[in-house]
Amino acid sequence: MHLLLIEDSIRLQSSVGRGLRKAGYAVDVTGDGEEGLWLAQSNRYDVIILDLMLPGIDGLTLLRRLRAKHNGTHVLILTAKDTLEDRVAGLQTGADDYLIKPFAFEELLARVQALCRRSYQRKNPKIEIGDLEIDSTSRLVRRKGKPIDLTAREFMLLEYLALRRGHVVSRTEIEAHIYSDSTEVMSNVVDSAVCLLRRKITLPGTAPIIQTRRGMGYILESARK
Amino acid sequence: MSSIQRRLTLALAGLCCVLWFGGAAAAYLAMRHGLILEFDYAHITDVNSLSNMTEQSPAGLKFDSTGEYMPTFRREDHPDYFQLWETDGTVLYRSPALEGDLPQRAGTLAVPKFWDVTLPDGEKGRAVGVRFVPNEDDEILRPAGAPPLTKEVILVAAFHRQELDQRLRYIGMVLLLGGLGMAAAAIVAVGFIVRRGLRPLSAVADRAAAIDASSLQLRFPTENLPAELLPIATRLNDLLARLESSFARERRFSADVAHELRTPIAELRALAEVALKWPEDRQATQHVLQDALAIALQMETVATGLMALARCEGNLLTVRPERVAIPALIQDVLTPLTARAGDKQLDITLDLPKEACWYTDAAALRSIVANLLTNAIDYSPTASPIRVRLCKNGAGEELSIINQNTYLAPEDLPHLFEQFWRKDPARSSQLNSGLGLALAKAYAQSLGLKLQAELNHAEIVFTLSGATACNDANG
Repeated sequence: MHLLLIEDSIRLQSSVGRGLRKAGYAVDVTGDGEEGLWLAQSNRYDVIILDLMLPGIDGLTLLRRLRAKHNGTHVLILTAKDTLEDRVAGLQTGADDYLIKPFAFEELLARVQALCRRSYQRKNPKIEIGDLEIDSTSRLVRRKGKPIDLTAREFMLLEYLALRRGHVVSRTEIEAHIYSDSTEVMSNVVDSAVCLLRRKITLPGTAPIIQTRRGMGYILESARK
Repeated sequence: MSSIQRRLTLALAGLCCVLWFGGAAAAYLAMRHGLILEFDYAHITDVNSLSNMTEQSPAGLKFDSTGEYMPTFRREDHPDYFQLWETDGTVLYRSPALEGDLPQRAGTLAVPKFWDVTLPDGEKGRAVGVRFVPNEDDEILRPAGAPPLTKEVILVAAFHRQELDQRLRYIGMVLLLGGLGMAAAAIVAVGFIVRRGLRPLSAVADRAAAIDASSLQLRFPTENLPAELLPIATRLNDLLARLESSFARERRFSADVAHELRTPIAELRALAEVALKWPEDRQATQHVLQDALAIALQMETVATGLMALARCEGNLLTVRPERVAIPALIQDVLTPLTARAGDKQLDITLDLPKEACWYTDAAALRSIVANLLTNAIDYSPTASPIRVRLCKNGAGEELSIINQNTYLAPEDLPHLFEQFWRKDPARSSQLNSGLGLALAKAYAQSLGLKLQAELNHAEIVFTLSGATACNDANG
């Protein structure tokens, strides 16, 4: 999942960005409203975490401009502004969620996960594809009931392919959703990551479920019997 | 509860009643007096007729009762009475209906004596008495050369005054009923007039009742307000404007404090929670500790600034005046800032007389100057000049710190010394807490100094004035 964190506090950028990355998200970070708007319009993010008091343009203006351009990315407002009027204004301007500082990181994480699920029209945090189970909340993967140890990025890749099961996902889309702008993506990094993931989730006696579509990308489907 | 309207209504209605009844009583008495005079003088004719019917001759006095004198003395029902005496008290004549004696008092024919009397039939009447010399009898001539006859007689006539009393009663009743009607009308009319007159006051009272802490934007209407209320409404409006401004400042201050504290707390919490969730990252944990320390120091700055402001505003700052050498103090403040100024290639010029010396609190003055110089260094464009100048201004001296301004607009100046005010609405600058200038102003006020800021073309000038020079303090 690819997130955009627009927050002017350097320390919050650092800690929240680090936490989200550790939780398996690709996170782009900016502290400026203008740059945030440009990033939001130039990339396809799953969720934007938006502070309201920003240099450049303020968060509400940014959100208003985003919605005016028919950008439907889920937006979570993260701000110290706590009055009822502020919350109503934020939600009415087009935010999907509103969290007041100070906040519990776990709560932020849970809200981001919920918004990500909503991006793919899912309410259940568990994805089941044949004998493969993916739990978005606990970040656990099982195959045939057996836990599979994945890194955060591998989990993110698997979750993304699973959310788009039955559809061919191109390398560019994978890059956009799994790797943040700050990550230098090597030309074959996606292929290597998919190869490694495929190896980890293919247990003895099970069929591979990630298929390569040459020249197009990858598709995750239930194992053929 | 005391009510101006009720008191005014009662007082004015009471006054109207008193005036009416006083006037009515005076009118009644005047009319009564006039009617009695009219009654009395109407009967003088009767008395004159009776006197003409009395004659004297050398043979004595006689009353010619054969003549047709006034029928009122002869009527059966409620007759009038008269009695004629000689001066020795001998009764000369009584009217037919009179059986006893009438009281005897007498004036002259020219000025008769009138008085109230109870008539022989027991009713009230009016009596008139005259003493006169009767005419000589034409038929019995006095001897030639004899002196004129001058024997006097006393005539008292008494008349019924029922008709007069009835008229007086009627007039009295009319005046009394008119008075009661007037009193009722006065209460209603005065009440209406007072209510109408006090309507603007009621409007002011209603508006005042509608104003509370959440509606301080309301004002008392001053259009069409009576001249007596206009200054009150104007002063109240001024007061409301000040209150609204104070409340707004208070709310802004609370919101600012909340924001200044919420953000570092959020930073601290996020740092700690992320570090605890992924403790294996040693390098990140080290950064966390450094950030936590920086956040603590930032919060300490805010808390210290707020406490210092509270001390100044509560007049709790202890001022210990002493001789403060200004060049030495400026140099002292600048020394730790030299590196910061050097990084931005700022050219700091000191234009200070060597002997410049103020008699003031050194610590507070140092805080003011440090704040102004730090701001000048932080907000000056790179490679620009900063001037620190001390000069005479009238009787006193003023210290100015002048630097290039690319940041503030004229409309920012009124907010410059407000607590937590920052030009950047995002408040994201971590250079300062937004309390420095407010604190500098508060310190200046505690020292009896005046701190002002003005924009002079491309420069911003902070001026500290009103100080007592050491020489003046010695004098």
